[in-house]
Amino acid sequence: MAKFLLLAFRNIFRNRRRTLMTLFMVGGGVAGLLLAGGYFAFMTHGLREDTINSGLGHLQIFTADHFNRDEVRVLDTGIDNWRQVAATVKAGNHVRGIAPRIDFYGMVSNGTKAAGFMGSAVDPEAEMSLGFISRIESGRDLDPKSSGEVEALIGKELAKSMNVGIGDGLTVLAMTSDGALNGVDVQIVGIINSGAPERDARYLRITLPAAQRLLQSDRVTNLVVGLDSTDHTDQAYAEMMPRLNGLSQKMELKKWIDLATYYKQVNTMFNGIFLFMGIIVFFMVLMSSVNTLLMSMFERTREIGTMLAMGTPRAWIIALFMFEAALLGLIGAVVGLIAGNLLGVLLNSSGLHMPPPPGYSVPMPFKVLHVPFQMIVSSVLVVISMALASILPAVSASRLKIAEALSHV
Amino acid sequence: MDAIVDVETVSRRFALDSSPARQPAHYFVNALTNASLRVIAGEFLAISGPSGSGKTTLLNLIGCIDQPTTGRILVDGVETSKLKPGQLSTLRREKIGFVFQTFNLIPVFSAAENVEYPLLIQGVSSGERKQRVGEALESVGLSARASQRPDLLSGGERQRVAVARAIVHRPSLVLADEPTANLDTHNATQLIDLMHGLNQRLGLTFIFSTHDARLLEHTERIVRLTDGEVVSDTNMGGNRG
Repeated sequence: MAKFLLLAFRNIFRNRRRTLMTLFMVGGGVAGLLLAGGYFAFMTHGLREDTINSGLGHLQIFTADHFNRDEVRVLDTGIDNWRQVAATVKAGNHVRGIAPRIDFYGMVSNGTKAAGFMGSAVDPEAEMSLGFISRIESGRDLDPKSSGEVEALIGKELAKSMNVGIGDGLTVLAMTSDGALNGVDVQIVGIINSGAPERDARYLRITLPAAQRLLQSDRVTNLVVGLDSTDHTDQAYAEMMPRLNGLSQKMELKKWIDLATYYKQVNTMFNGIFLFMGIIVFFMVLMSSVNTLLMSMFERTREIGTMLAMGTPRAWIIALFMFEAALLGLIGAVVGLIAGNLLGVLLNSSGLHMPPPPGYSVPMPFKVLHVPFQMIVSSVLVVISMALASILPAVSASRLKIAEALSHV
Repeated sequence: MDAIVDVETVSRRFALDSSPARQPAHYFVNALTNASLRVIAGEFLAISGPSGSGKTTLLNLIGCIDQPTTGRILVDGVETSKLKPGQLSTLRREKIGFVFQTFNLIPVFSAAENVEYPLLIQGVSSGERKQRVGEALESVGLSARASQRPDLLSGGERQRVAVARAIVHRPSLVLADEPTANLDTHNATQLIDLMHGLNQRLGLTFIFSTHDARLLEHTERIVRLTDGEVVSDTNMGGNRG
């Protein structure tokens, strides 16, 4: 068997120019897939961490009612004794910190004009300790120790539409948990540019105590849990669930991936593009290799006839051609892996940037991640593609009429 | 005496067109017509005749790489037309050795690896292969060239490697189609002596096609073909070299 494999290996290098072209094509396909896949991986990895660090956190705790029914009154599905809940989960492994949040809605007015807002009340210290980025374009973040007028951050587009800037005042109106209308005057200390103009046209952020006064409630909407690493999400989730089940209020724990709708859409899109590219490479290698292998078969007609005349089983001839093709695919895959990774290193050190994606204003750095899974998939893909491409030439070779093959010129 | 080959009123007809169904008679050519031949084990037999006389066709039929249109052929007592392709393959692998006009060595194999090939497909163990390849190469005087690839060997050496490959698995029958046609006089004479020596020493049956007078001088028996018909079958017993 070893001799037979040796024959296949040596046959690959009989026509070096043609082999080189095939390796170039197969290797190019693998390298292309690695570069595209590596770039997609970089994009999705960046988007994942960006999504988590923008305030989503790794885990979020809600009441079960939050998902089971709509709020009749403000915060009536909120977490009642949130400090106890926070203390319960903070003792867990990998937990870096917990940030309480209130989501609320209402109207802002500058005295002459009013607009709807989507508000978020936060504990600035907790947010900062978890490294959540506020994306403040101008001004400063909320001061947790401020004792004067209520401070607020507002979205860039909302500030523009309300014609206000840093240091200006706005009146915030919202329904209390009792169903009454309440208002509070706020002073704008910072303008937020999240990169998504639609969000910035409605966004307002105040401190948690200010929101609780405004809404007349001690409850919070949810608790955001930050971990030491995204990779520990599943482990922390498994450890946290039993602790939450022991509480008097029924709680629900969500992983970041369950809440990151945009991330999932982008990830699905990239996976789809990668799959599409994989199919193109698969057929590109398949179609061009069929031709190359058929040429090789025709050139070796007399030799195959001789092997058959000597009593070589026809199945061996098929195996010989298929093994040659698979071996060629394997060498091509190795060439592609080396080329793709080298090109990736070069691109990563080149400082290239891509134009900002839709909704963003900052150019994206062009980086390629080296993903072992993609290397395996790309390599297997071309080896299978080459093996399939060899079926027609292999079967044709095995079916040659010996007498005719021996007289082939 | 045991017959190693029995050719009984064999004809082989080829269609000139690729569509064989319902063709008129003039669309066919008769390469061999009612040929009969009996070869005894250990014979050194030449099939002679001009180009197109049917020599290669007859060898192909005896070698089980083609099937007769009519008649039957027995190799070592086995009727070949009754065998399935896989069984024919086994028969060729075990009982027959081939020497071709154009040597037909595998170019990416060394001389030793080419000689080893028939043993490889028979599943002979590595140790035994090595020993038998050594013996075969020694018998054709090419032990020193064992590691050379065919492109580094002369025409005569290539044909001797082909002979070693044809005998290494100890077949009952060696078929050689115009073995000296591509050789100069010196190499042709060496090859004839070699084949005849193997026939004498090992008792191997050789059937070869040729119109090389040098080769015919060494044969014991000459079967002459003309236009696909056996026109003479002469025993040259007294003319052996």
